[in-house]
Amino acid sequence: MTAGSHNARWLAIYLPRLSTDRLIRSGRAPADDRPLATYTKEAGAFQLTGVDARASALGLRLAMSLADARAIQPKLEAVEAEPEEDARALDNIAAWCERFTPIVVLDPPEGLFLDITGCPHLFGGEEALRKLIVTHLNAQGFTVRAAVAGTPGAAWAFARYARKQTLSLAERVAAKQRGEGRSNKQAPGRLNAPHPPPPAPRGGGGEDLRATLSPLPIEALRLEPDAAAFIRRFGLKTIGQLTEIPRSSFTARGGEHAMLHLDQALGRVPEVLTPRRPPPMVFALRRFLEPIFTADAVLEVAQVLCEDAAPKLELRGVGMLAAELVLFGVDGRDRILPINVSRPLRDVKALMRLFREKLNVVGENLNAEFGFEAARLDAVRTAPIEERARALVSLEEAAAGAEKISEIVDILSSRLGGKRVLRPQLHEEHAPERAAGWRSALGKEKKKAPEKKPPADSVMRRPVRLYAPAQAIEVMAGVPDGPPIRFRWRRVTREVVRSEGPERIAGDWQKREMTRDYYRVEDKQGRRYWLYREGLYGESEEKPRWYVHGLFA
Amino acid sequence: MAGAPLHEIGPAATGYEASALGFSLALAASWAGPAGIFWAGEEAAFSEEGAPYPVGLAQYGVALDKLIVIRAKKREQALWAAEQALAAPRAVVICALGAHGKPLDLKASRRLLLFAERSHSRCLLLQPANGPSAAWTRWSISPAESNAPDDELGPPSFVAELTRNRAGPSGARFTLDWNAHDRRFAQRALVGDLSAALVDGSADPIRARAG
Repeated sequence: MTAGSHNARWLAIYLPRLSTDRLIRSGRAPADDRPLATYTKEAGAFQLTGVDARASALGLRLAMSLADARAIQPKLEAVEAEPEEDARALDNIAAWCERFTPIVVLDPPEGLFLDITGCPHLFGGEEALRKLIVTHLNAQGFTVRAAVAGTPGAAWAFARYARKQTLSLAERVAAKQRGEGRSNKQAPGRLNAPHPPPPAPRGGGGEDLRATLSPLPIEALRLEPDAAAFIRRFGLKTIGQLTEIPRSSFTARGGEHAMLHLDQALGRVPEVLTPRRPPPMVFALRRFLEPIFTADAVLEVAQVLCEDAAPKLELRGVGMLAAELVLFGVDGRDRILPINVSRPLRDVKALMRLFREKLNVVGENLNAEFGFEAARLDAVRTAPIEERARALVSLEEAAAGAEKISEIVDILSSRLGGKRVLRPQLHEEHAPERAAGWRSALGKEKKKAPEKKPPADSVMRRPVRLYAPAQAIEVMAGVPDGPPIRFRWRRVTREVVRSEGPERIAGDWQKREMTRDYYRVEDKQGRRYWLYREGLYGESEEKPRWYVHGLFA
Repeated sequence: MAGAPLHEIGPAATGYEASALGFSLALAASWAGPAGIFWAGEEAAFSEEGAPYPVGLAQYGVALDKLIVIRAKKREQALWAAEQALAAPRAVVICALGAHGKPLDLKASRRLLLFAERSHSRCLLLQPANGPSAAWTRWSISPAESNAPDDELGPPSFVAELTRNRAGPSGARFTLDWNAHDRRFAQRALVGDLSAALVDGSADPIRARAG
C-alpha cells in the first residue's frame, strides 16, 4: 500500500497505555486505588513497560527499574507484561476500525494507521471521524490520541507530540478548500460521493506539513533510539532544525534513517505500508444514523452498497467473483455474508437476488443483538467482464441461456452452498471410484474433458449409480472363479439369469489394493447390477469377497 | 412450445427405483437442448440408491458438460432447487424425491408446472409415491429383460406403463429399449394401446404435445 498520493488522508491512532488499559478492562486491576504497572525482564533487570494514569501521576515512568518504582511507590501493583495479549488487543481494535475504512495498518506495539482517503464525509468530516474514534475507544477504557494528516508519518507525529490533535490552521484551510468539514447528512442512495476535487497545488506540496511539524521534537519522526541519539548529538532537537541543515552533513546511517523518515512525513517520499487485510479493489461503505436490526434493513443497505459499487466496477471493466457484505455490530462484533458466483457480476439486481437468498438462509441467525451501525461491501475477487459483440441473434440467445444458467447456479449455490451444486468431472484413473468426481458448478473447469460418446451398441459397461463404499454381498458362484449364480443383498436373494464378464481391473499396488473381477449381471426381474469379486481365486487363503459396486438403470 | 411441461415417473414396485431413474434420464437425454439437464435430488436418496456416476451417465447419453447435479439436504430444498432450475429456458429438470415423506401435494406440483410453463422448460418429477398431481402423465416403470442373445446384456430396457394421461387414455404399456447412441427409445413388444406408441418419439404422447 503506498501512502504518498497527493490527496491521501491518514489517521494515526496512539494508545499510550494499551497494556495497563487492557488489564483494567479485563478486571485485573487492583481493587483499591493502587497504581498499576506492567514490567518485563530486560537484560537481567525488571523494567517497567507500562504505567497507568495513577502511576504516571505519582512519578513512575517507563523503562524505570521495578526496584526503583517500588521504592517510590511501595503500593505499586506490578504485573508481568503479556506482549501477545497486547498485540491481540491492538488487533481487535484494528478490526473494529475496519468499519471506517478497509485499509487499517497495524503499527505495533501501540499504534494504528487508517487510510481514510475519501471516507471522512461519511462521518461528517475528518474531525468528526477522529472524535468518533477517540470517544468510542475512551468509552471502551482505552487512553487514546489520534490525529489526521496527509502522510502516515505526520499523523503519527501529531498523535504523539502535538499539543492539540485537531487540525492545524493551515491544514484546516486546506481541508476547507477541499470542501470537507461540512457535516454531511447522508443523502440516501449516495454512499461515497466522488472524491472532492483536489486542492490547487500548495506551495512546495506540503509546506503546511513542514510548518506544523517544525516545532515537534525529532523523536516525532519515528526514529530508532540510536538514530535519535545520533541527531541529538548534533544539538538538533526539533524537526524544524533538522529541515534547515544541509543534507550532505548526514551521511552516516543514523542520519540517513532520520532523513528518510523526514521525507516520508513531509510527503516527499512515498511510504509503503501493509494493511492488516488486503484491501478490496472496490468497496462501498455506509454508516447508519440509527443502528439497524432486521434482515429487511440489511437488504436495503445491501442494495445501496451494490448501487454504489456497480459504477466503480464498471469503471474498471470488472465484475465480482466473490463479494463480502460486512456488517459492523454496535457490540464491536462483525457478521460477514459472503457470496460467490461463477462469472463476474456487477448487475445490482443479480447481486441483490444472491444477498436475498443468503439472508433467507441466515435470516434468524443474523444475531443483530445491539444492531449494526455500519456496513461495507467488498469486492473480494474480481475478473474482467467481456463485453460481448452483438453479432448473431442465435448466439445472443445462446449466451443469454448460458447467462441464465450461471445465474441459477449462483442462486442455488448461494442458498445451498457451493458443495451441493455440482458438475461432473472425469479423471484418467483405472479404479472406477476414482475415474470420476464432482466439482462445484461455480468454478471453472480446469481442463476440458474429452466428450465421451455413448457406445455404438448402446450396451452399458458402467452403471449410472455407484456405491461408495461398495456394498458387501453373499454370493453363490457356480465355479470358484466364475460369475455368481445368485446373491443376497439388502436381505433379498436375487437369481442371476444373465451375466457378462469378468472385466479385470488391477488395483493400485501402492495403495495395497487387490485385483477386482467385475461382472455385469441381470436378475430374474431384469434388474442389472455391477458386481465384483475382490482378489483372485486362489490368490490368498481366504475366500474372495463379493460386492455390489453400482446399479445399471 | 412445450405443451406438456410436467411428467411424473415412479417405480412400479419397490426395488425398481434404478429403472425409474433410468427412464427419467433417458427422457431427459432425448429432450436435452443447449440448456442441458439439472438433476435435483435429496441427499438421502443419493446415498440410498448410490451416487450419480459420471462415467456411466456419459455412456447413457447424458452430455456431461450440460449436467448440473444438486444434492439437497432436505426434500423442501430439492424441490426449491428444481423450481429455480426450471427458470432456465428449455432446460430439462429431474426432481428426484426419496421414498421417505409424503408424496408431493397438488399445490407443490402445480408450482413446478407453473415454473416450467413460464420458461418453456420441462420437469420430470421422480417419486415413488403416487398422489394427486398436476402432471400431464404418470409413468410406472419396471425393468425389462435384456433384448439380447442368452448370456449377454443388451441396452437398458424398461416396461413403462402410462398410469395417468391428462391428454388421452391411460393404461397403455410399452416395452422399450434405450438407444443411448441415438438418444431415442425403440419399442420392442406391444401390449395394449397402439395409438400412443412411443416409436422413435414420433407418436410419443409427450412429444405429440410439444408443438
